[in-house]
Amino acid sequence: MRIVLLLSALFAFAMSANAGVVDRAAALQAQLKGNNSYHAHLARELADVAETELDQHDINVARSFMKMAEDQAAKAGGAK
Amino acid sequence: MMHRIMIGLAALSMSACALTTPDTSISELDNARAAIAAAKAAGAEQCAPKLQAQAVANLYWAAHEFSEGDYHPDENAELAATAESKAKQARAKAAKGCKPEIIKLNGIRFHNDKADITPTAAAILDKAVATLKRRASIKVEVAAHTDSRASDAYNLALSNRRAASVMAYLQSHGISAARLSAKGYGESQPIASNATKAGRAQNRRVELRVQ
Repeated sequence: MRIVLLLSALFAFAMSANAGVVDRAAALQAQLKGNNSYHAHLARELADVAETELDQHDINVARSFMKMAEDQAAKAGGAK
Repeated sequence: MMHRIMIGLAALSMSACALTTPDTSISELDNARAAIAAAKAAGAEQCAPKLQAQAVANLYWAAHEFSEGDYHPDENAELAATAESKAKQARAKAAKGCKPEIIKLNGIRFHNDKADITPTAAAILDKAVATLKRRASIKVEVAAHTDSRASDAYNLALSNRRAASVMAYLQSHGISAARLSAKGYGESQPIASNATKAGRAQNRRVELRVQ
């Protein structure tokens, strides 16, 4: 029973991590709409990489790239 | 036993939280790094921002993939090659020179011989204010243009008044004067033919040129 609970908790944790990256990528895209600066483009590109890594179930890497994307978005003037 | 599993999972979670930037200094990325540096020196971040961003993003991605070992050597090499190729394209584009980024204020109209901000223009400028607040690091020139009817001197004076009027509106809505300048170009920079009504309408415009 405890194992089942533990696995359920882990599954929920993984799902929330996935949703977190996807939501953050969507928010970043919205914030940078119309911004064609270098930092804005780089933020979008890095967010795309994050989502690709997420599709490959590499959550850790996806979060790293998402963090880099948000750093660039902040430089571009998009709210972090 | 359960305790050990819990501790193991906690340690795993902690390690999963460590977010690191990929190391791009590896020798496999020498060519891509050099191409990106050359493009940057040529002004690619300003003149070819998308290409340069694609180059840098691919560099980071390649660096990450290389850090995972030789699971997909072909894909790793392809990412590095893409980074290099995009950087070379960005450099070539930058070498040709570039126009400043323009934030268009589509739809701004003034009454004949007037520089007052109409309610329709105010709605458009409010969006520009939001953009400028979001992009707090940029400075812009308010550039106003006319069509070719009337004399050069008249058009230049009218465009100067309209540029100043738009700048005043932006200032009054919280944009620092230090980030703004205004310039009227009169009829000197048409973007369409002044021979047609539609062309003249396109030429009568105000835009924000990112400095």
